[in-house]
Amino acid sequence: MVRPVDATRAARRRKGAPRGRALEPLLWIAPALAAIAFVFGYALYRLVIEATHRDGVGVGLDNLRIVWSDPPFRTAIGHNLRLLVTLPVISGIALLLAVLLFEGLRGWKLHRVALFIPYLLPVPVVGVLFGQFLTLHGQLNSLLDALGLHALALDWLGNPDLALRSLAGVIIWKELGFGVILFLARLLSLSTDPYDAARVDGAGWWRLHWHISLPQLRSIIGFYFVIEGVTLFAWVFNYVYVMTRGGPGDATQVAETYIYDNATTANLPWLAASGAVVLLGGFIALAAVALLVRLALTRRGSAA
Amino acid sequence: MNAGRLAKHSTLWLATLAALIPVYTMVSASLRTQKAFLDSPLGLPTSPTLHGYRAALSDSFPRWLANSMLLTVSSVVVTLVLATLAAWGLSRWEFRLRDTLLSAIVALMVVPPVVLVVPLFLLGVELDLINTFWLVIAIYVGLMLPFSIYLLTSYFRTLPVSLFEAAIVDGATSFGVFRRIALPLSAAPLITLAVVNVLWVWNELLIALVFLQSDDSRTLMAGLTAFQNRYNLDIPVVMAGLSLATLPIVGLYLIGQRWFLRGLVAGSVKGE
Amino acid sequence: MVRRTPLRICAALLALAAVMLTAFGATAGARPQASTTLVMWWWGDQEAAGLKGFVAASIKRYEAAHPEIKIKAVLQSTDNLLPNFAAASKAKKGPDIIYRWGGIWSLQDAWDGNLAPLSDYLGKGEMSHYLNAGEETFDGKVWTAPWYLQPSFPVLYRKDVLKKAGIASAPKSWTELMSACKALRAKNITPMAGGIKDGWFGGWLYSILGSQSISSIDDVKKAVTGTQKFSDPNQAAWWTKLQEMVTNRCWNDDIGSKELYQAQQDWSDGKAAMTITAGTDVRKFVKAGGGANVGLMAMPSYGKGIGAGKLGATSQTLGVSSFSSHKQEAADFIKYFHTPAQLTGFYKATGALPADDRFNSAVVTVPQIKQLFALAKKGGPYLENFIPTDLDAKANFANAQLIFAGKLTGKQAADDTEKKMARIRLLQPKLIANFKKWYAQ
Repeated sequence: MVRPVDATRAARRRKGAPRGRALEPLLWIAPALAAIAFVFGYALYRLVIEATHRDGVGVGLDNLRIVWSDPPFRTAIGHNLRLLVTLPVISGIALLLAVLLFEGLRGWKLHRVALFIPYLLPVPVVGVLFGQFLTLHGQLNSLLDALGLHALALDWLGNPDLALRSLAGVIIWKELGFGVILFLARLLSLSTDPYDAARVDGAGWWRLHWHISLPQLRSIIGFYFVIEGVTLFAWVFNYVYVMTRGGPGDATQVAETYIYDNATTANLPWLAASGAVVLLGGFIALAAVALLVRLALTRRGSAA
Repeated sequence: MNAGRLAKHSTLWLATLAALIPVYTMVSASLRTQKAFLDSPLGLPTSPTLHGYRAALSDSFPRWLANSMLLTVSSVVVTLVLATLAAWGLSRWEFRLRDTLLSAIVALMVVPPVVLVVPLFLLGVELDLINTFWLVIAIYVGLMLPFSIYLLTSYFRTLPVSLFEAAIVDGATSFGVFRRIALPLSAAPLITLAVVNVLWVWNELLIALVFLQSDDSRTLMAGLTAFQNRYNLDIPVVMAGLSLATLPIVGLYLIGQRWFLRGLVAGSVKGE
Repeated sequence: MVRRTPLRICAALLALAAVMLTAFGATAGARPQASTTLVMWWWGDQEAAGLKGFVAASIKRYEAAHPEIKIKAVLQSTDNLLPNFAAASKAKKGPDIIYRWGGIWSLQDAWDGNLAPLSDYLGKGEMSHYLNAGEETFDGKVWTAPWYLQPSFPVLYRKDVLKKAGIASAPKSWTELMSACKALRAKNITPMAGGIKDGWFGGWLYSILGSQSISSIDDVKKAVTGTQKFSDPNQAAWWTKLQEMVTNRCWNDDIGSKELYQAQQDWSDGKAAMTITAGTDVRKFVKAGGGANVGLMAMPSYGKGIGAGKLGATSQTLGVSSFSSHKQEAADFIKYFHTPAQLTGFYKATGALPADDRFNSAVVTVPQIKQLFALAKKGGPYLENFIPTDLDAKANFANAQLIFAGKLTGKQAADDTEKKMARIRLLQPKLIANFKKWYAQ
């Protein structure tokens, strides 16, 4: 599809319209650029300075070396990576629910509203709510008891082996709605012809969606992966801070809480800054990988 | 109903219940007493009481709410203004660095805010701007700009240039074209952008925690975490606080469902 | 139709925001006008019920007697007490008076330059009456002023619940305590209620149990500076004893889910036989537990160390910030709490004992508090006040959580504590230097 600007760009060139001179557009962009330069530019510059100094003395990459071999930091990053593993789970469940809604069963609109509500709630609210909900004598376990499932009524946040998984569960609970709406919107925009044809051929539910829905959702699934990947890797501070503060022990410590703790309670800004630099580096690497994966998916999707 | 349909309905209902039960417990607990809550955490509020809400509202809650609203409105308005201007500059003209600039700005979308917190906090201390709203607004604007610029630039590029050409032929200035043609046509993406950004600022916790520490300047979300600590012996009050914090967003959703959903889908559709 | 409106709306909102911003006057800390305004950030109502009312009344009285002074007291939450002042100190803008727990919790701020040495403003003579002021003495100055005693920490037991398990009198030795746990569990009663979710209880347990196996506070000091180790037998013993308590199911099952105060609430509701409370809170819990039904004792001891059978002797303090522009006025207000009427009033309002040897203990009538006072007078060192706060959080809080969850043995906890201390020695040499100087005096 040729975008309008492309066609008119050629036209403009013919008419000798403004191009090449950067002054006027830059005037428009300047205010925004100033804000961005301040927030990102200065911050990243200062970050590097803080990470390469200690007590006022320049130490080169020594801080980074210390951070890299600091056991609490490794534990934290390890937890971030473990959280990433929930990505396929979130996407899978969201896909399933979106497909079910797409089929237009009776009452599907009600389900759509209900499923979106968790996503609406602010993360701190979700965190505080589940902080209560998941205690040993909290609402979840009361529910399980009432259903006769007492054996499942565990100490979801107090047991170090369960805490991180419970955290992941809460994140899944909240982020699911976004995926459902996303996939559903895409599905609803697809043409129904392939479906009708396949049904005539007697295709079952599974084959229908595997061969028709899934290929057309490839790129949007890729997009969702990126968004949720970003969230799980570097935007979980709200959940951890409110629900467990990194506990019990350090079972739910993540990179963000490591940085926050070192910047505030431990009063070691150089350690926090170094951790941030490493996190940023790892993040860029992950983002690059995700981008490549998405590109690959898109290419396969458009080739299909 | 055959087994297949039964399975589908069950799955949907299971998911719906899973989504709604925690929210139900939040609201129902907010209407009970601590004793009733401890005795049976799941029970219905058989004799509802408003003591939770009263305690929450007589605490610093209104103050925090006002702070959040102030921050949200200011930072979103500034972001929209700056982003619209910048997006116009990045779409209307062609110049050498344009695509590099745009890519650089868009790439910033994924920088985790925690990375920026340490250096900006140190700067804030040096400039004596901690506990002021100015610095926080500047940071929020900076953080929201990449996505906002990205969205608006994509949108502006879909507008037919012939409209602008026609206006120029009629004697409009460059700014006039922007104001009288492009802006009015952008009502839809602007509103969706406003909604997405409002949600983001409203929910934000980390920066609010670090830069606004005094009880007077605290935002609603940061206040909620302190609230939880303050009332850990009176859970219904905490739940009432949570319900109060959720109300504005749910209200916004009910009024502007269309824009909400569009806003969320917008970025993704453009992003393909 | 939509043409002008969005721009107008934007402009209006911007104007509104600007007006609101100036109106709200963004910075914290009041601007003093003709009179002097003192800002006090404090804590303590959480562990001494009634303190909030007493502080408010005291402020009123003081303002009436000193019309040129206005005082604004802001109660901090437990989680924010430390971070708030740290941020204010960095910004050099904040309260005039700041509440600090004793020992390292005061000295850390002194070392960071956040406090003005109070003895310069109150005089050593006056401060010689303040109990446990030695904890915050450094470099020849007393940095904060002890406000009230915190006998750390009595075990409260309910005679009615003990009777249900056939226990006639409270356990006195460690072995008796273990058998009591077994007996209570046999009747499905929680022996001891505690809450470790927010971590602080770990520091309490360290001080209570850890002091029973060391011969003096010097052992702890040596472990911090490196001439002893936290994994040495005398320092590690308490972890193993804690594990023993957990194995004998002495604690409530949901200790990992409960915060400290929430668990004490369970004891008040009769759901446990024993609990550990702040000494300042005894009056409230005696009332809640049924008056004479409540007994008080030091934690039964397993060892013959310096803290065996004793409570930790420490005081909570008030200090003046180094960036206050009204240091003398702030100090004078702190001194006001030590006038005779205030001392008696403090006890009457809270049931807690002010940290002043001029306090007339005849006003104490509650038998358990009398007992508490006697114990507090011959108390032992309060360990938590002598170690780096970072070690407290990362070792005591964190490892206690893991021991309660059954994920760590006593030995592993002790070894990990030593590892964490080694890490602090590596990352914070300046802090260790200050500790050495402190210990040497």
